[in-house]
Amino acid sequence: MFRRVLVANRGEIAARILRACREMGIETVAVHSTADEGSPHLTLADRRICLGPPQAARSYLDMDAVLQAAEQTECQAVHPGYGFLAENALFAARCASQSLTFIGPPPRLIRTMGDKVEARRTMRRAGVETIPGSDGLVADVGEAARIADKVGYPVFLKATAGGGGKGMRQCEDEGALKRNFPLASGEAASAFGNPDLYVEKAIVGGRHIEFQILADAWGNAVHLGERECSVQRHHQKLIEESPSPAMDPATRRAIGASTAAALAGLGYVNAGTVEFLREPSGNLYFMEMNTRLQVEHPVTEEVTGIDIVKEQIRIAANERLSIAQDQIQIKGHALEFRLNAEDPDAGFRPSPGTITRFTAPVAARGVRLETHLNATADGAAGSAPYDVPPWYDSLIAKMIVSAPDRAGAIAAAVRALEATRIEGIKTTLPLHLRVLKDPTFLSGAYDVTILSSIMQGV
Amino acid sequence: MAKVILEPIGEPIDAVLDAASARQNASAMTALNAALTEKRAAVRAGWGKEYVARVHEKGRLTTWERIDRLRDPDAHVLPVGTLVNHGVTFGEKEQTSPGAGVVTAFARVGGRWVIVIANDNTVASGSWWPRTPEKIQRAQEIALRLRVPVVYLVDCSGLFLPEQSHTFPGRTGAGAIFKMNARLSDAGVPQIAGVLGDCIAGGGYMPIISDVVYMTEQAYMVIAGAALVKGGKAQKITSLTIGGPDVHVHLSACADHRVPDDDACVDAIRAEVGKLPGSAAPYYRRDAAPEPPRFAPSEIDAIFPADHRMPYDVRQVIARLVDASLFWEILPGTGREMICGVARIGGLYAGIIANNQHLTPHPDSDGIKRPGGILYREGIAKISTFSRACNDDGLPIVWLQDISGFDIGAEAEKLGLLGYGSSLIYTNSTNQTPMITVLLRKASGAGYYALAGLPYEPVLQLSSPIARLAVMEGRTLAIGAFRTKLDDQFNIVASSKKEEETIRKGMEDVEKRIAADMDPVRAASRMDTDEVITMPEIRDYLLAAIEMSYQAYGFRRVKNPRIWSLHDLRVLAP
Repeated sequence: MFRRVLVANRGEIAARILRACREMGIETVAVHSTADEGSPHLTLADRRICLGPPQAARSYLDMDAVLQAAEQTECQAVHPGYGFLAENALFAARCASQSLTFIGPPPRLIRTMGDKVEARRTMRRAGVETIPGSDGLVADVGEAARIADKVGYPVFLKATAGGGGKGMRQCEDEGALKRNFPLASGEAASAFGNPDLYVEKAIVGGRHIEFQILADAWGNAVHLGERECSVQRHHQKLIEESPSPAMDPATRRAIGASTAAALAGLGYVNAGTVEFLREPSGNLYFMEMNTRLQVEHPVTEEVTGIDIVKEQIRIAANERLSIAQDQIQIKGHALEFRLNAEDPDAGFRPSPGTITRFTAPVAARGVRLETHLNATADGAAGSAPYDVPPWYDSLIAKMIVSAPDRAGAIAAAVRALEATRIEGIKTTLPLHLRVLKDPTFLSGAYDVTILSSIMQGV
Repeated sequence: MAKVILEPIGEPIDAVLDAASARQNASAMTALNAALTEKRAAVRAGWGKEYVARVHEKGRLTTWERIDRLRDPDAHVLPVGTLVNHGVTFGEKEQTSPGAGVVTAFARVGGRWVIVIANDNTVASGSWWPRTPEKIQRAQEIALRLRVPVVYLVDCSGLFLPEQSHTFPGRTGAGAIFKMNARLSDAGVPQIAGVLGDCIAGGGYMPIISDVVYMTEQAYMVIAGAALVKGGKAQKITSLTIGGPDVHVHLSACADHRVPDDDACVDAIRAEVGKLPGSAAPYYRRDAAPEPPRFAPSEIDAIFPADHRMPYDVRQVIARLVDASLFWEILPGTGREMICGVARIGGLYAGIIANNQHLTPHPDSDGIKRPGGILYREGIAKISTFSRACNDDGLPIVWLQDISGFDIGAEAEKLGLLGYGSSLIYTNSTNQTPMITVLLRKASGAGYYALAGLPYEPVLQLSSPIARLAVMEGRTLAIGAFRTKLDDQFNIVASSKKEEETIRKGMEDVEKRIAADMDPVRAASRMDTDEVITMPEIRDYLLAAIEMSYQAYGFRRVKNPRIWSLHDLRVLAP
């Protein structure tokens, strides 16, 4: 097993990975920008290296700095977390060339699956159904219009280099398509360095369901079931749960098996998430793939009992998967709530400032808090003040609640969130409680429009 | 016409011998085969069950367990050098080194032949004894000659130090192993290494020149063990912390990949071999598939008489070694004391040369018969020409030896057999085509040399259990030693019964000593033969060696049969 791993990330996921390494007896090196110098999670690491100033481009995204830190501290492997360099094929390749094991898939697969058009094509060829739309890139607005006519409006104009909800424009009719095409292309060029677009049918009332896959370097692949991630705002997830209320065991088995087999056939290695859109009729269409650990991985861990981060590290050390598909069982129900430093009532505007106190029922059964901060259960002033840096995403903590069934999980979630207080800034916590009271959410029969409906007071 | 017409050779065993003789011959051979099996088993057992248990306790596999996992399930492994150091003990403790502490073998991996060189981790932690370096280099040499990939399963603690003066300094000592690594790489021969244990000094250097190196989590490679590092105890370093995969895979890049355990390492090596180009043998088989002989190779045991002086029909042996028992004999009417021709072995063409044991007529006078198993002028000329033609044509040559020597006497000298023999030696010494020599029975004196004995660098030299390798037969030496006491017919002339007894005993002692020298096991122990094998195993080794000769391409000449030089022989001397 690796002697020392560098965690190339920050915030809650860095804390998560440091903890997993510690439990495996692996020494750790944490990197940070100057803005994160006081981040409590750094005490979990054996060593810390400052990469540079707060701007991500000059710290967490600075490949040279990260690679040098790893070389200097004689690390055997690097875990990229999510975001930042996690889906950077060039970074993965540079790691390989300096014999630093990148804990993730091979560069080739980051590249092919990171290109959304390429991924669609690849999965279609592997027998996985994709959302109706263009076969590849659309050369011009004329071709886009022809395809939109064929699959029917509304359609999405999507940037091939985009993802995670960025670089998409919905077009209701041909006029809108013609208006949005040059705008979308221009935005894509400046945001992702690639102006290319593809067309996808915009499915109304769909549900975002994603499957977690683990694959080893020996050709074995398993799925760990699905996550429902339809509680989203502008394609940013807020609440995730596993299993999905819309899934039945037979469909889970079928989709899981074909997805795992497809990825194994492609030579995929390590953790990956395959995102589907489920249209109201029940069909599941491949949307895109994330070749990394996901934010919401804990809900899968809670219902399967499998530590995904530890499995990632083992896979990277060329171990075979320790579990077979028939040993994986989905038991109980888990919900995750993203506690972001944002003001939901003000359009989710980032809410910077200082957290003066963070209280959470950290010792309660079925409650798991993932954060880089120090939260205490008793509300005592044990948790030191924390300045939320404005330079990065706004995720402060994830509250994960599990119970034997969905109703129980919801009830436990209400109790847990009501016992949680993040003082000094605005967060999404109150919004979670609103969702947990919503009859549509409680019924489980919701889709990606649920959050905007709730917020519009519908 | 440039056709290669192979014709049936051989007869069913009951047409060759009566049942009683066949049984008698076979049973004599059975005893020898059993003795050989026993010796092989003893080598295979290494230093014994206790050492096997130690290996398992560490969570590792033994050397043979690794090899069994490496090879294709449907194929056996053909070792060479099994009996190196047999019967030899070292030091006051009289330690043995079965197989010289290393396994060198031909194995099929993913449908290709590879040469496996695997330290025996049940014998002194895989360390190198006297002759271990030479045994390893012999395997490397075969790989180099035939361009066959090498798989090293390295588990080697370096030199066995008490014997270091015999293994460290010499021209063929341990250093030459790394030279051969370099020469193999220089020739573009793939080398794949798995590091599976405590690899120190020589063991540490052994994998490095290989193209790809895998290390298990337990394995380490160090120039010297932590015990020799000054201040090592205070710093709490171990060989694993300074030389394990954490260092060599990631920091020094002296190894390429880390794997959890022996199983994974072997599987990874199999996958690596799978990336190599496939065998060219199917291409060179042209229109033929491998075919078993029409008569079973196991019957060869019944063909050889128990008395080594008695003749047998070597054509019956050839018939049981070649595909479909088909053979194109070249120049059958000339030099009839030698048989040479072309056959397919495993579907691939090879030249075959064998000694005829029967009396043959003198070329100048049918009435005069000459003993077989001897080289006369015509036979030498025939096989010289055949050897040159096979070399010209890129045909591997199989030399089946059962030879007493060259003809001697006035006629032999006047005809210049010294010259003809030297011409043959010259040809074999400069041949590029692969040669495989099998000592069926007698392998005497200059005859052994003439028929591509070990000094003429066949890629493989094998001995049957009844091989008799010596400068001359014991009886001949005894005759020479006691010449003054013998008459012209070599009978003892003595003045008393006692004297006769003394002379007889003296001659017997000489014969016994030579007989002991001739024991192929002794030769194998000294590496004067590559392996002692049973008669039925000859075909297995020929199949492997010939397929290996055709597996790689682009490094040696292989002519299509249309333009063989051999066809010219038939035109010139039909």
